Parts: sequence; C-alpha cells; structure tokens
Amino acid sequence: MSAESVFSLRNRWFITAVGITAGLFLLTAVVGLIVLPYAQRDVTFTSIWDAICSAAGVPQVRSSAAPVQPDFKVSTVVVTASMLGQPSQESIGRGATLAQQCAICHGPVGVSRADSPNLAGQYASAIYKQLKDFTSGARVNAIMTPFAVSLSEQDMVDLSAYYAYLPRLPAYHPEQGKPAPRIVVNGAPMRNIAACGSCHGALDNKAGSPWLEGQSAAYIRTQLQAFASGARRNDISQQMRNIARQMTPEEIDEVAQYYASQPPQSRRASSE
Amino acid sequence: MLNSRRLILAHFWLAFGVFGLALLLGAWQMFVRSPLQAWISNPEWYYRSLTAHGTVMGYVFPTLVAMGFGYAISEAALKQALIGRRWAWAGFWLIAVGAVTAMVPVSMGLASVLYTFYPPLIGNPFYYIGVVLVVVGSWIWVALMSINLHVWKRDHPGEPVPLAMFANVAGSYLWAWTAVGAALELLFQIIPVALGLRSTIDAGLARVFFSWTLHAIVYFWLIPTYIAYYTIFPRAIGGKLYSDPMGRLAFILFLVVSMPIGIHHAFADPQVGAGFKFIHSAFTALVALPTLLTIFTICATAEVAARMRGGRGPFGWIKALPWSNPIMLATALSFVMLGFGGAGGLINMSYQLNTTIHNTQWITGHFHLIFGGAIVIMYFAITYDLWPHLTGRALTSVRLMRAQLWLWFIGMIVTTFPWHWVGILGMPRRMAFFDYSSPALAADAMSVTMSAFGGFILVASSILFFAVLIQNRRAPQAEPGEYRFATAIHPPITLPAVLNGHALWIALMVGLTVTNYGFPIMQLLVTPETSVPAVYVGAEK
Amino acid sequence: MTSSPHIHDDGAAVAARAERRWATLSIVIIVVIAGVAAFAGIHQATMPQVRVETADPTTLHIGGEFVETNLGSAAEPDGTVTVRAIGQRYSFTPQCILVPTDTPITLRATSSDVVHGLLIQGTNVNTMLVPGYVSVLTARFEKPGEHLMPCQEFCSIGHEGMWARVKVIDKAAFMNMTSNRRRLDCVE
Repeated sequence: MSAESVFSLRNRWFITAVGITAGLFLLTAVVGLIVLPYAQRDVTFTSIWDAICSAAGVPQVRSSAAPVQPDFKVSTVVVTASMLGQPSQESIGRGATLAQQCAICHGPVGVSRADSPNLAGQYASAIYKQLKDFTSGARVNAIMTPFAVSLSEQDMVDLSAYYAYLPRLPAYHPEQGKPAPRIVVNGAPMRNIAACGSCHGALDNKAGSPWLEGQSAAYIRTQLQAFASGARRNDISQQMRNIARQMTPEEIDEVAQYYASQPPQSRRASSE
Repeated sequence: MLNSRRLILAHFWLAFGVFGLALLLGAWQMFVRSPLQAWISNPEWYYRSLTAHGTVMGYVFPTLVAMGFGYAISEAALKQALIGRRWAWAGFWLIAVGAVTAMVPVSMGLASVLYTFYPPLIGNPFYYIGVVLVVVGSWIWVALMSINLHVWKRDHPGEPVPLAMFANVAGSYLWAWTAVGAALELLFQIIPVALGLRSTIDAGLARVFFSWTLHAIVYFWLIPTYIAYYTIFPRAIGGKLYSDPMGRLAFILFLVVSMPIGIHHAFADPQVGAGFKFIHSAFTALVALPTLLTIFTICATAEVAARMRGGRGPFGWIKALPWSNPIMLATALSFVMLGFGGAGGLINMSYQLNTTIHNTQWITGHFHLIFGGAIVIMYFAITYDLWPHLTGRALTSVRLMRAQLWLWFIGMIVTTFPWHWVGILGMPRRMAFFDYSSPALAADAMSVTMSAFGGFILVASSILFFAVLIQNRRAPQAEPGEYRFATAIHPPITLPAVLNGHALWIALMVGLTVTNYGFPIMQLLVTPETSVPAVYVGAEK
Repeated sequence: MTSSPHIHDDGAAVAARAERRWATLSIVIIVVIAGVAAFAGIHQATMPQVRVETADPTTLHIGGEFVETNLGSAAEPDGTVTVRAIGQRYSFTPQCILVPTDTPITLRATSSDVVHGLLIQGTNVNTMLVPGYVSVLTARFEKPGEHLMPCQEFCSIGHEGMWARVKVIDKAAFMNMTSNRRRLDCVE
C-alpha cells in the first residue's frame, strides 16, 4: 500500500476527489460571480467583467448625487485615539506661557472660579478639538472665539499639551458621596442614551470627549441645553445632540449636579 | 495501554477547571441581563465577563479536551507509548500560562473586546499574546499527533490506521490550518497595534481572517464528539461500528470542507463581494454531508446492537438499547441537540434566511445548543468512559452520572430554546442590560427569564459532574483493563492509501482555502486607505 | 463509496448498499438546500450588496455623502428613497429614520469608528457597519408603524444604549414632506 501513490493521475481516488472539488468550486463560482449578479433586478452592469468584479468584491467608485451641504460650520477636526501623541517638554513650556491669557477665566492652575471649564489634567484631544472648533466657527462663544482665532495651529497643540500635563485638582464645590444617578451609569437605552461614563470617563473614554468630574454644574447644564436645542452643533455627526435632546430637564440637572460634586479621578500611571 | 496518565489527567482537570469557572460567569451573565436583576451599575463588568467566558469556552476548554483525548487515543489506539511526552507537557504549560496571561488583563477590565476581538477595538496586548500562547501550545499537540502516527505507520506498513487515530489526526490538521486565520489577524494586524507600533488597522480584512478560524473551529470542537460517536459509543452499548470507511469519509469531509466556508459569518459584511458569499454559502451546505453520514452510521450501529440484544420491530428495537448506560444516554441526548442545532444551522447558512436572525440572540442560542449541548455532553461522556483508565478507580455512581447528563440536557434546552425565540423577535446580542419596561421588549422578558433558569440548571449539572469525579478519588482501586475503541462489523483489512492517510485531503483543504479565501484577502490587502484608527479599550480613565 | 474496500460477504454488501443509498439521499438533500438558496437569491432579489464601496471613517463629518446635513431620507427622481445613516459610539445618526410605505428603499450606511450592526426589528433589514466600507441594502416597508433599530454588534461599553428607531409613514404624507425638506428624519 505504501507503494500506492496518492498524487497520481492513475489513482482513481485522486482523480475523483480533485475533480469533484474543482467542479464544485467552478460551478459555485459561475453561479455566484456571473449568474446571480445578472439575476439582480435593479442593477445594470457595463460588461460581464464589471459583473464579475462586482461580485468578487473589487471596490467601486460610487456615483452619488451632490450631497446637501450644511448651511452652518461643522467641526472639521479628525479625532483619533492616537492624535497629538506624546507632547515635548518644549511644547508644554510654550503652552504654559500662552496659558497666562486664559487664567482669568480658567484659573491660574486650570481650575476655574467662574463657571468656566476646569482644564487642569483634561485630555489634550478634548481641549484641542474645542480650540479648533472655536477657530473654525463650528463652536461660537462671545469670549472664547476672539481668543481662539488669534491662535496658530502650534499654539493650540501647545495649550492642549500644557493643560493635559497639569495635575487634576479638586474643584471648589465638591459634595461627594452622592450616589451616581441612573442616567450616568446606565443611561436610558430605549431613548438612545448610553451611560455618560462610557465616553466621559469612569467607565471608558471616547477619544475627543472630556472627562467631567468637578466641572461647574452651570456649565454642564448650559452645554447640554445647547446641544439639545441645536444651538451648539460642533459635536461630530450629532453624537452629543442625539443624547442631549433625549434627556429630560430633570435628568440634565441631575447629571450636572452629580458631575460637579465629584472629585477628579486620579490620573493613571502612564499617560499618552 | 495508557502510559501518559498524568499528562492526560492534567489536560482534563485543567479543561474542566476553567470550564467550571467560565460556566459560572455565563450563568451570571444570563442572570444580570434578565428581568430578575436590576441593571448592573457598571455595564463594563458584563463585557469583561463575556470576554472571559468566550475566551475560556472557545479557546482553552475544548482545545485541552481535544489534546488530552488525543494523547489518550494515540496511546490506546496505536498501542504505542506517546512519543514526545516532554513536548506534550511543554504544550500543556504553554496553554496554562497563555490562559493566565490572557485572563489577567481581561479581569482588570483592560481587554473587554470579546473573544472575537472586533478590531478596531484594541485591548491590552497581553490578552492577545495569551491567546497566541494557547494556540502555539496546541500546535505542539498537532505536531506530536502527526509524529506519533508517522512512527506507527513506519512500524506497521500497510496496516489500516485505527479509525480513532485517523480521526484524531484529521482533527489536529484541521485545527492547525484553521487557527492560521486568527493567527494572521493577531500577529500581523492586532498585536502590532496593541503594542503601539501602528495606530490603524483594516477592520474588514481582520473580519475575513477571523471568519477563516471562526467557523472551522466549531468542527475542531466537534471532532472529539464524533470520535466518541464512532469509536466509544458502539463498544459502550455492546455492539460494533456499522462501517469503518464511512467514518473515515466523514472525517475526511470535515477536513476538506469545514474550512473554506467561513465567510458565511460575514454575509452581512460590506467588504466581501456577493459572489464569494454565495460560494461559501454553497460549501456550507456541503458540510452537512459528514453529519448526515454520521447520523446514518451511528443509528445503524445502534440498531444492529439493539437487534443483537433481542430488539424487534421497525422502532421497537430502540427499547432494547442499554439506556442505563451513561454513554448511551449521552449519545442519544447529544443527537437530539445536534438535530435541533443542525436545523438552526441550516437557517444561518443561507444569506436569505440569515438576514432575519443575523447577530441576534438566535446566534448565541444556536452555538450554545451545538457546542455547549451536543458537543460538551459528549465531552462528559468521554470523561466518564476514560476516567477509570486514568485514575485506576471505578466510577461508582451510574445514577449520578445519568442525573448529571439529563440535567445538562434539560438545562441546555431550557436555556437555548427561549434564546432562539427572542432572537427571532430581533433581540440583539451582547448587551449588558435591556429595558424590559419598554412595550417593544416586554415580550422578551419571559423568555430571557427562562434562559436564566436554564443557566442555573447547567450550573447544577456541572456540580454533579464534579461530584462524580471527586467520588472517584475515594473509590477503591480497580484494574479497568485495556482501554479499547469500538471495532467495525467488517474491520478493514487493507485500505486504499487515500483512506489511510491525510495528504490528499490536506492538499484539497489548502487548495479550497486558496480558491475561496485567496481573492477576497488579496483584494482587501491591495485596497488602499481602508485602515481605520484603532480605538483603545480600557486604556484611559 | 463505490470502491468500499474488500467486501467479503453478503452482509457487507447489504451494508454497503444501504450506505450508498443514504449517501445519495444526503447529497440530494444538500443540493436541494443549496438550490433553494440560489433560487431565493434570484427570485426574491435578496442577494447581498452588489458592489463593495469604501469610505474614510475619520472624515465622514467633514464632507461628502455622509456629512450630517445629508443624512436621513432623500426622495430620488426615479421614485425610490435613499436613506443615509452612520453608526458611531453610541448612536445612529439620524437616531430616528423616517421612510414611506410601498416604496423601494436603498439604505446606505457606514461607521465612523468601530464595527456596528444595524438591525430593524420585525424586518429583514440587518447588516454590519464596518469602518472603511459602505453597507448598502434595499428594503420595502408594507405597513406604517414603528420599529426599533438596535445596534446588533458589540461596539464597546455603551453598546447597550445604542437603540435607534424607524418610523414608517404613509407614502403620500412622506412625499408631501419632501417638498419643503430635502432630507427627512423623525428626530424630535
């Protein structure tokens, strides 16, 4: 039996097995790549080659009608998890100098006394995105816009790096120990509200989203209301408007109070 | 002739140890997402548990069972001491270390990406490295099975390879090749990104690579079960296997056609062309063939054995079967679950029907019924059959074993039937909680509650299983005799080379992989700008 | 199994014959199943999407087909309706899709970050959204009503909150609405 060669044209098993396998493949390939594409009612192919390529999965250029363009400024920031990378000491230093003009509202160490956002230890990507949006006009604020338009690209990177570098200090109004409201830990699935913590820290972070612990309640409330009404539209593809417009005024209040009362989470050992 | 008893025992104990832990996680998951429990305060815990459950049940547990059983087959069927026992221990420890390496980041919430990986979600690199170690450990087993068979063939020229070993080696080759898809995905796509060497990944390509592994892995899990059908069941009921070549043909068909069909998992994916989806769908239909052949052969085996025991009538012979025998019971229950599961599988394999249930709870119900039910119940049977030969002590409580098997069967049915049903209602998979107070989901509440109770029954069954094994430690020493596999009614005296070796079938398996996967993979590789930014899970808080 | 090796007696011949019959029957079963799938593909036009298309997920919001003001339902000159949507962690935009009854609908959707899935309960609309690629499928809604549209693929923590809705309204009412808005949705 060892003398019997398996891979031989004289072995009937070999011929049969290979023949059946190849035949099945060819049959299914002809049906899948030629017969079925042509059987589609709403599709026309320029040639048989076009049909085969489509069915085989060769990417094709779409011929789409002109899209409806926004009549307002949308955010043009490309947000990725690896944006901004590791800041240099020099960048942080430049940021520190630039940050002096921000201290009036955002506090000398990035913790505000004036219901402006605390920036100390905030994610660089979150700060950078807002600065870019103020510059482009995707987000509008009477105080911030004039500041932001004067900043260069490098200025925005440096400022983000500096504030991200600062230690996370507790804000002025913590009344800790409140249980987290349901909307924060569970959201409201049927209203398409995911848990706040799944993007804004505590559970997980989504790139470009800020962490919120210790922010002023008034600020959080105003922003949620602005998202809900559509007054603020710089959230990419409505990701925040989708949530805010589903929230009740009571829930908005609850969330704002809760986050304002929380101390910042200590930073993890290695930062990105 | 079982020389490597400690080795085999180690595999089975580790397998069932991790199985017990993962089963508890599974039952907990059923419970927390059911209406019996208020929403958990941290949904991340659910996904963490799900990742651990899937990784252990999918990669660690069945691999260890296949390996331990494989070593036992090699020694008992070939009547030849295992060659390379040190390597076998190395493989075992690689799996143990790999499992721990993977589970540490998972338990810390650093890799809640589920066992199917789902890039561009990227977790802690140690999770993926641990999984790779598990696979590498199992590849040592593949090599050892091949070497042991090769040495035996050299010493026994022209003799038919015992069916158990033929099937065992077919299963090992199947696993070696099917694991390549996920290995390519892990080594060339995911791990470089997890280590921070790259920041983008082609999610579409990764899904195609994973489909290469994801379907055939089911047949790797299945093969020990089929080996038990063919080579333990006939002997256990006091009969003989109806046909030896038919068994070989079934395993050969698994080897050839279970691999190039994985894109049926990607029917709803936008990155694969419709033509290749059809080709894979057609080949998926073909993979039903070895199962249909097996059902015939095993039923015929049972009928012949029953008639020898005095069974009469077209169906009356069924009563004459030795129902008090746990192997008989397990096989029958396994067949029932295989029947229901297979019928469900027919729905998944066609694009048209699949759209109604794709990625719903139906899918989870389906693979729990097939794998957790039909396959795992035979893992219990294999263990019961093999155990006295491993420990040198008899298994004393047949009633306990029967109770355990019945509980497992009932638990599986109670768990998976409602699970299928809510899938048809459109309930999506893998959610930490559901709002059953919504009128649209209220209809699911009852079914999900039933499934949760099914999960508790399964836990109860596993407790009985461990009780049987622990009781065995206290049983008196007993010489179990030689460990034998069933012989065929007409044992083959000589076989054509193709039925006595794997070369042709491996060539066809690789060939079909090239035809069915080659173009889709090459196409995605050359398509520019489809790599997307990685999304890191659990990295920053 | 025509060459069943070394058959020595009548019993073996009987066994081989029974086996051959069963094997033939099995093959017939499988051919019928595959045939039914092909038939359904041809006659009910339920084949997977015809063409593979790509889209850069990081710039969807800046311009092109998936810019936010172009999302939603558009009435096409040929009488069909095109629905464009994106999936992102953790919502679909638009989060309520408005479609007319008795109209061929083409759904074009993609993901801006990870893999999502789009499933409209009570229908056969069920597809994956893989970042980098555009999912296209056709549908037709017979009756007015509301459907839930959950994300059916794990997309990280927050997946359980990703539920959108689909509202099917009378065709005439839908077409009326298109006269003053070019892209429709039912987001309130």
